[in-house]
Amino acid sequence: MSLVSGPGRGGASTGHVPDEIKLVVEKHVEYIQTLDTRQDELEYWLTEHLRLNGVYWGLTALHLLGHPEALPRLATIDFVLSSQHESGGFGAAPGHDAHMLYTVSAVQILGTVDALEELDRRGKAGREKVGQYIADLQSQETGSFAGDEWGETDTRFLYGALNALSLLHMLHLVDIPKAVTYIQNCANFDGGYGVSPGAESHAGQIFTCVGALAIAGRLDLVDRDRLGGWLSERQLPNGGLSGRPEKLEDVCYSWWVASSLAMIDRLHWIDRDKLSQFILQCQDSEKGGIADRPGDMVDVFHTVFGLAGLSLIGFPGLVAVDPI
Amino acid sequence: MGKYSDSTEWEDVDPIPQDDGGPNPLAAIAYTEEYSEAMSYLRAAMAKDEKSDRALGLTEDIIRMNPAHYTVWLYRADMLFTLQKDLLQELEWLNKISLKHIKNFQIWYPYHVPQAGKAEAYGLRRHHRQVVMSHIPTIPPTETAFLALMFAKDVKNYHVWSYRQWLVRQFSLWDSELPYVESLLQSDVRNNSAWNHRWFVIFARHMDPTKHSIKNGDADSEVPPEIIEREIEYTKAAISTAPQNQSPWNYLRGVLGKKGMGLVELKSFAEQYADLEKEDEVRSSHALDFLADVYAEEEQKERSGRALELLARRYDPIRKNYWNYRRSLLGLKQVGA
Repeated sequence: MSLVSGPGRGGASTGHVPDEIKLVVEKHVEYIQTLDTRQDELEYWLTEHLRLNGVYWGLTALHLLGHPEALPRLATIDFVLSSQHESGGFGAAPGHDAHMLYTVSAVQILGTVDALEELDRRGKAGREKVGQYIADLQSQETGSFAGDEWGETDTRFLYGALNALSLLHMLHLVDIPKAVTYIQNCANFDGGYGVSPGAESHAGQIFTCVGALAIAGRLDLVDRDRLGGWLSERQLPNGGLSGRPEKLEDVCYSWWVASSLAMIDRLHWIDRDKLSQFILQCQDSEKGGIADRPGDMVDVFHTVFGLAGLSLIGFPGLVAVDPI
Repeated sequence: MGKYSDSTEWEDVDPIPQDDGGPNPLAAIAYTEEYSEAMSYLRAAMAKDEKSDRALGLTEDIIRMNPAHYTVWLYRADMLFTLQKDLLQELEWLNKISLKHIKNFQIWYPYHVPQAGKAEAYGLRRHHRQVVMSHIPTIPPTETAFLALMFAKDVKNYHVWSYRQWLVRQFSLWDSELPYVESLLQSDVRNNSAWNHRWFVIFARHMDPTKHSIKNGDADSEVPPEIIEREIEYTKAAISTAPQNQSPWNYLRGVLGKKGMGLVELKSFAEQYADLEKEDEVRSSHALDFLADVYAEEEQKERSGRALELLARRYDPIRKNYWNYRRSLLGLKQVGA
């Protein structure tokens, strides 16, 4: 899946934003379908290192839009499997090194199209080995997860690991209590969580920490009122959500903030009508796709997180999404 | 024809082109042609696990064109250590490309870059820097100047902050860090990253982050009361310059929690910014929020409820449901739209 941005812009090229906007489901489906025909653009090649993530984002968007058939299932499975290494891990595309992020995307894609058994049938390594690849990236000392053998740690990897292992039914391969302790060490005085102990609270990292706690069955450790207060404070007067205090709104936080709120049963603390209006203003209603904010170029990353945000707040016409 | 196919240095290598199973559509764009050629030589070099000066040069070339390509970074780091290269020189190179990064994106990405790719490039450079730096015994004198330049471009860059925390711990730079944070807060008192860093410098100093929670600190090395007092006074002064600023209000709650005391002590301070008797003159919604907790602590439910009502109705209506929830905890009824 290509991560090429554009061609359209959110909120119509004239900059005029009508008051009543509809979700243009068919246009978004077409937009995603045409992404892979844009191989003549430089950005297509420069974003090769994100291709497997791109497939996951595009595929998820299509499922949310109620058109799971719009991407050819077999070709999708073939592409995923072609990015696998014998270690069990996946690279972003054939020829790229294995990394946690792409391995998680691969498992998520195969799970979405109900093809996890294909790993055993024709993968370079079967399910057991994929699970082991992920589990081996856990630090015995701290409980955190590295992205690859080089050892960079990030709560994104921890969440990704638990997410993929739960899809594979292999959570028993890792030390969950230690991972949970690590997440608690990333909690900050303001109620949020950061990328590592001591790092600033950030909505994207909060999603990964709360999501991991949800998978681990330890949401009891979260101070829901304090965290919910911080998260709801991310909504700006225009309805959009930001990732940190004093930062601009961005459609992708419609997912990170809203899903975190949903996981702690506090989604109603933001103004959902204003949020859906904001997301709709970021779509290109002529050519499809959603941008980070009105007037910017659309791309698949913001398209899927915009749609997921809309689905979460119960916007009609979309398939319901699970916040975790 | 190309930079590598025309070079005698690379004539022994058969490039491995991208296999996409279709005609190569890249030829139309000059930059793309250059990138595509370099990548085909990279594949060939990696296929035989070549570790050489020319391969280092090749990675440099590709990183210049596409700093978000993680495989190239890994290959480069591996070569640096195997070939025992001068790591200070590597840092110097890294400084140069990091500072040029923003400009480079404009050259190489003709359109808006998908955010994920841009963030990935930052992350990869930061990680490479950390890998290189962890092999250097003392901090190079140029390092803090470099970080200052990065902050001059974007003082809220999450990757730079995360690296800075690592650096402070790695080389025990605690003493020089507080004056630096103060200079940042002086130029922008709303910089939440700087407030967070202040917390880190003061409260995370004597603890092992892998063993103790940053939020609660390390019980064995309590922060002296005079430092707690100093932090309260510093934060109050910061609030007085910009009362409608959530960062110091959050910080204040955190510090008071450290001291193990309630918020009541700062009641009259907060009332300067929000007097319930003068609804039109409220200067800070955060002060109202703070006072709602103060009054609740004092068992003044009606007063607390009144502060929450002002927030729900007038000063922060977008979060009406949150404030109403707080009212319900006091047993009070909801405020209408």
